[in-house]
Amino acid sequence: MRLVVALSVAMVLAVFLLYTSFAGGATDSLRPSQLAGAQGEVQLAGVVVGPVEGDARGAGLTFTLRDFDGPASVPVVYTGSVPDLFAADRHVYLQGELRDGVFVGVKDSLVTKCPSKYAPKSDDAAG
Amino acid sequence: MPGLGRAALVVALGLVLYAALAGAYGAARGKRRVVDSATNALVAAFMAAAAAAAVLLGAFLTDDLSLTYVAEHSSRALPRGYAFTAFWSGQEGSLLLWLLVLTGMGSAAVLLNRRLVRELLPWTVPILGGVATFFSLILVFVSSPFVTQPPPADGLGLNPSLQNPYMIAHPPLLYLGYVGLTIPFAFAMAALASRRVDERWIVATRRWTLGAWAFLGIGILVGAKWAYEEVGWGGWYAWDPVENAALMPWLVATAFLHSVMVQEKKNMLRVWNVVLVALAFGLSLFGTFLTRSGVVNSIHSFAESSIGAWFLGFICVVVAASIALILSRLPLLRAPSKMESLVSREAAFLYNNLFFVAFALTVLWGVAYPLVSEAVRGIAATVGPPYYEFFALVFGLPLVFLMAIGPLIAWRRASWRALVKAGAWPGGIAIAAGVALAATGSGARPVGLVGYTFAIFALAAIGLELIRGTRARRALERTGWIDAFASLVSRNRRRYGGYVVHASIALLVIGAVGIGAFSSSREGQLAPGQALAVDGYVLRYLGSTERQAANAVELRARIEVSRDGQQLGVLEPGKNRYLAEQQTSNEVAIRPSWPSGEDLFLIAEQFNEDGSLYLKVLVNPLVNVIWLAGVVFVLGSMFTMWPDAREQRRLAQRFADPEAYAST
Repeated sequence: MRLVVALSVAMVLAVFLLYTSFAGGATDSLRPSQLAGAQGEVQLAGVVVGPVEGDARGAGLTFTLRDFDGPASVPVVYTGSVPDLFAADRHVYLQGELRDGVFVGVKDSLVTKCPSKYAPKSDDAAG
Repeated sequence: MPGLGRAALVVALGLVLYAALAGAYGAARGKRRVVDSATNALVAAFMAAAAAAAVLLGAFLTDDLSLTYVAEHSSRALPRGYAFTAFWSGQEGSLLLWLLVLTGMGSAAVLLNRRLVRELLPWTVPILGGVATFFSLILVFVSSPFVTQPPPADGLGLNPSLQNPYMIAHPPLLYLGYVGLTIPFAFAMAALASRRVDERWIVATRRWTLGAWAFLGIGILVGAKWAYEEVGWGGWYAWDPVENAALMPWLVATAFLHSVMVQEKKNMLRVWNVVLVALAFGLSLFGTFLTRSGVVNSIHSFAESSIGAWFLGFICVVVAASIALILSRLPLLRAPSKMESLVSREAAFLYNNLFFVAFALTVLWGVAYPLVSEAVRGIAATVGPPYYEFFALVFGLPLVFLMAIGPLIAWRRASWRALVKAGAWPGGIAIAAGVALAATGSGARPVGLVGYTFAIFALAAIGLELIRGTRARRALERTGWIDAFASLVSRNRRRYGGYVVHASIALLVIGAVGIGAFSSSREGQLAPGQALAVDGYVLRYLGSTERQAANAVELRARIEVSRDGQQLGVLEPGKNRYLAEQQTSNEVAIRPSWPSGEDLFLIAEQFNEDGSLYLKVLVNPLVNVIWLAGVVFVLGSMFTMWPDAREQRRLAQRFADPEAYAST
């Protein structure tokens, strides 16, 4: 039985090393307040602040993303599929990269968190 | 009425608390009558939970908006059929469903194994009672579905993406699976506590484990079907944390189903089996926790809630108690027999277990990675589908291979020569099919080609095994092929049901590889009259229409579809605007073709003000084989679980000692 445990652990570690060595690692998931100085592609999560303008199929949809629990925010420009639930005050996350103070989203990476309630309620603010 | 619901929950809490405490007392002191009384309390708790559920369902059906839970999850215009979906669309209703299923299944399992529970495993009742107490406590004190408020004019409605028939079935199926895993867990822990560590707890719970596992599996697949049709990004599984939450216990339960056979047959792996069952139960709690706590970024993350800490605490208690109990019984669990050869059926089961558990643990690592990295570095980092797909491949392909050759390997000690002989035909067929596929162009995606070849290998091995068995039986009984086949499979339902499930997994692999490696997509802006071509299909945008449905305005794009010059009709992807909910929901249009199993998948991404449409088109080959696999999976599981008089007699004989019982 020790053999079984040892073998499983060894196998997981070996394959994991294999993975990290050639398939690349994880993406950092940040909030707008943590974005300063971030390099490369990251995931950004926050609350949508209007106005939401532009065309996601053209030059891009522009809006602002704010921390769930703070005032820090960053302008975002995004192209691609827009989820049904996307609107101001929603919690969303997307992949992208900070370029000259604007967070440029990766195409089709925008995801809306799916709330179980629809009340414009305290939960959203406290999130 | 809300008062009745609240009262029923308080009564249920009292009863399960009694079942836990009195049951523990009766078990510890060996007082049968106390154990019986605790059992009765568990049954009564099921009735109380059923009463509470009936009150809540009644409130949904009669639009009793004075209940906060109803007002927040339903509206007057919501079609009646969705009252069930609304019932479990939120946290409070889901927890009530957990309690209902737990007390129901727990009572049934205890009553059906009454003699076993009363005399050998009396700890079963207090363990079930303890788990139920946790859920009742939360329902009564933390998250009650029966909180009232002054009734608003109308409810907030049901999340539009949940207004889909598959969503009526998906949550209860998953919960039957999650909760069902409590049964083998309770029996296993009771066996440890009562120092009855032979295989009886496994025999007694075999069908319960199978049932829970089958519900979990089909629940995951129904969820995938829902995601495919309703979330509508064109895929069926996205490695979302909440999807993974159900996958992990399923993987561990699959490992468990295989390893218990080794214990039944050879009395080995006894420690491993209790560890697996505890792990499966722990993961099913973790799954409920993930779904309901919002700790990780997920499309499903429901608003962060107050019960996360409670769940985490309970999971810690369960894990700590299980580990302590297993450690304290370790000397008893030492296996009396040892593995004789690394080429044997039991060794094949062992490898299978290693791969399943390793896969489950890597998925767990991926799900927990944001939390771990946040704790270590202060920044949460996520791993995406490439991570999971890599491991699905690394662990999945050997599993498919084992699935094909495992049943061909003899118990105890197999010879390489016999193995090579048995594997030669299916191997030859698979290689021939692989070469044929490569010649017809599948070689463009090497991963896909390898996946197809492995799946064909498994299917060929199963098919040949059936033919071989039928031929032998035909020679023995001198009957026709059909009679011989029926006689063969009915003699060992467990084995041949297992083969059918194996075949369904091979089909699943084929479907997953088809959509994963060979789908194509195009998107573009279309003015009315313009067309888009993809993969032989031509899609012409005719214009848009709008109609009024019961609780939504349905905006539809009319797309004329043709393929190779042949008209295939008009498809209508679009969007629904739900009035009460003030939500829009994408409604994709799907056109399956038979027998290729290919789907044409249309998403009306955006209706522009100038009358043009932004259309996204996917061609998903073989995706329907995935759903076919689901049907085959259910049939195979049912066949395996079907009551079998011959097996009953065998078991009765096997346990024919003074303490014996005959059940399941």
